[in-house]
Amino acid sequence: MEYKVNKKVSIFSILVISILSTSFSASVMAASDDSLTVYSTRKEHLIKPLFDAFTNKTGIKVKYLTGKGGALIERIKLEGKRTKADLFMTVDAGNLWYAATQNLFQPVNSETIKNNIPNHLRDPANLWTGLSVRARTIIYSTDRVSPDELSTYQDLANQQWKGRLCLRTSKKVYTKSLVSSLIHHDGLEKTTEVVRGWVDNLAATPHAEDVHIMTSILAGQCDVGIVNSYYFGRMQAEEPNVALKLFWANQDSTGTHVNISGAGVTKHSKNPEDAIKLLEFLSSVEAQKIYVGLNKEYPASQKIKADNLIALWGDFNQDKMNLSVAGKNQADSVSLMQREGYK
Amino acid sequence: MNSKQNNSNFLMGMLALAVSFPIIVVCSAWFFPGTELWGHFLENLLPELIVSTFILLLGVGIGVSLLGTVLAYLVVMVEFPGRQWLEWALFLPFAIPAYVLAFVYLGVFDYSGYAQVWLREYTGMPGFDIRAGSWAIILTFVLVFYPYVYMMARASFKRQKIQMIEAGKMLGAKSFYVFWKISVPLARPAIAAGLLVTLMETLADFGVVSLFNYSTFTTAIYSAWGDFRSIEVAAQLASLLVLIAFFLIYFEKKARGKAKYYSSDISHIRPYQATGITGWIVFLFVFGIFMLSFAMPMLQLIIWSFEKYAEEISQEYSNYFSSTGILTVSATILTVTVATVLALPSRRKAESKALQLLIRFSTLGYALPGSVMAVGLLYGVQNISLVSIQLGGSSINHILFGSVALLLFAYISRFMAIAYNSASASSDQIKPVFEQSARLLGSSRMRLIREVYIPMMTPGILAGGLLVAVDIMKELPATYLLRPFGWDTLAIRVFELSSEGLYDRAAIPALIMVFLGAIIMLLFIRLDSERY
Repeated sequence: MEYKVNKKVSIFSILVISILSTSFSASVMAASDDSLTVYSTRKEHLIKPLFDAFTNKTGIKVKYLTGKGGALIERIKLEGKRTKADLFMTVDAGNLWYAATQNLFQPVNSETIKNNIPNHLRDPANLWTGLSVRARTIIYSTDRVSPDELSTYQDLANQQWKGRLCLRTSKKVYTKSLVSSLIHHDGLEKTTEVVRGWVDNLAATPHAEDVHIMTSILAGQCDVGIVNSYYFGRMQAEEPNVALKLFWANQDSTGTHVNISGAGVTKHSKNPEDAIKLLEFLSSVEAQKIYVGLNKEYPASQKIKADNLIALWGDFNQDKMNLSVAGKNQADSVSLMQREGYK
Repeated sequence: MNSKQNNSNFLMGMLALAVSFPIIVVCSAWFFPGTELWGHFLENLLPELIVSTFILLLGVGIGVSLLGTVLAYLVVMVEFPGRQWLEWALFLPFAIPAYVLAFVYLGVFDYSGYAQVWLREYTGMPGFDIRAGSWAIILTFVLVFYPYVYMMARASFKRQKIQMIEAGKMLGAKSFYVFWKISVPLARPAIAAGLLVTLMETLADFGVVSLFNYSTFTTAIYSAWGDFRSIEVAAQLASLLVLIAFFLIYFEKKARGKAKYYSSDISHIRPYQATGITGWIVFLFVFGIFMLSFAMPMLQLIIWSFEKYAEEISQEYSNYFSSTGILTVSATILTVTVATVLALPSRRKAESKALQLLIRFSTLGYALPGSVMAVGLLYGVQNISLVSIQLGGSSINHILFGSVALLLFAYISRFMAIAYNSASASSDQIKPVFEQSARLLGSSRMRLIREVYIPMMTPGILAGGLLVAVDIMKELPATYLLRPFGWDTLAIRVFELSSEGLYDRAAIPALIMVFLGAIIMLLFIRLDSERY
């Protein structure tokens, strides 16, 4: 018995030591090959096909590490000059803006990118660029709401929507960026009124996911909500006759709020030339088609049309506010929502 | 001999200090100046959060204590139909990650879930928002965490002297009176230990509370970090959780008191027989809990999986498997080894209050939200690098960041509480007389450890190890931040899909995880039944 225990212990320790040593050597070795490394908060199933296409075309291998925004940014910061990341890819303009303020990116002066991606979707100092566009707009039940009743985000704060509105939690970055844009257009005071009205009109605790907003409208818990366009796109792809429709908000004023997913080349990239190549590729027609096909998003590129399905939703005017503003106003927007009890 | 004893104290101290490293880094955030953010939080966020966190802890605490204790009492003390398999089946919910249970419950019971749709259609009852208020989230936590109390209370009831209960019965005490006045007080330390773990895990939870959009203390932590980009205030807030956990441990110690209630003999006689209709009522109750906490969520996961199986399963899965397996096995072995060393009985340790305090402190990582602890670890490594550069050396960041070693270290620190509690529960039962007689016979401490302590502690160590293994397998935030390239685990896959709203696809890796967790729980059960 005693012998047995000892033998087990020694097997365990050999196992542990070997794991430890391989892990150290693996991490040291990984630093020295010429593939590209991407840190991404966009999920694996949405980025892998893009990188595969890039590798097929150029022969340059791409490794990636997915993670949560705030945590990944800290990691790149702490890795400093020795970071393995050549590209940082994330969703939401506010996150890109914040990464830029933390000195994570280097400016990229690429004519290709400037030609492909319109101005308002890029950082003014060329630190990052948007790569796909999602509209955050109004969704409504076709059974209980007529599109004539709808107009703007601000209008959803009015009395007629009392007990009929579903919103996503203020903790999600998409909500923060939308409210940031309202602050930009209308100022703090007016936006406070709007948020207060929204909270009054809620039919349910704000939802964790846009998908839940849509199922709640279908179940009759509420009649209208605000969602990112691609969530509806995915649902419609599975159920073409679903009793929901998108309404393009604020067409007569500021345009519908759009947000982006995007990327920038890191300041301490070991291989900035290839990193720029990857970024240029991601803005190209070929990659933009993959973006659109994978996730029912709008292309960021001016050169291609949206996917057939989302083209059916019709054209709309985008809010042309430069998206770095969404980041700048974010702290104000969160304070405001927390003060007004928007959970 | 004396110096050897001091050596062993020193070694334990250093080990505990190392385990505490990320906790210390997080707490050291207080050296940084506070910002005006505190003003905003104190005015707008914290008053409400403190109340809602308190309600949650109170509700979950009462719920798991009641449910865990009653279930344990029923399966140990009462003979009823189906008792034999239910006794084991009740362990299984432990294999389901809390956030998975939460998304299943929301999918089934929220306004748009089929349960409510069915109710509205057939009874005409109005729909309701189960995320409003706190009862639904409390119930969810209770159903996912009751196995902690059940497990501990069951072991304790098994060791209660049957004679005491028989005596109570003979003196004419009603069965409820025997339960409440004899059995429960005797099991109090075990119940308190299970409760402690539950409350620490509830405090640190982020997944379930975000799905329910319920605000707790972790909400403020992530708001400080994510919304206001102040990692200092986030760490300061997080260190308050450490403080709360410390108080909880203190109260648990109080509840345990000095008394040792354990008897060494185990009886298989059940003092109560529930036959006829009573028996079936008891069965229905226990079976209902099993259905709600395990069978129903599993069924839902299977239904979702069927729809998306072809789309989701890919070659990547062999990778998820091996990462999950290697990390779980190696981290479990390390955690358990360290916990065992810290839990070894020694007279010197019993005398040193400071060492005991330090060891207790080193178990508090369990109350920290995983990603805060993980970032604390990165900052800790950074500080060491800065010191090393000051001394003319170089940075070690690039060696440690993204290495399996650092991730394993994070696991050890995070799950020490579980492994240590289990190991020390079994070392507490070793009577000091062993140490005295071994000394008298001139045996060395190493020999004493090898030949007496380790064999006596083995059941506790292994039981703790299996629990740690399940916890590590389910772990998300630290793994997500610290893992090396290509080391995606099943838990990460579940998160990546469910956070995009793709619950039906997420069901597949979740199901595999529950399945693996259930195998580990079965091992645990085998081990446990050998013990009795």
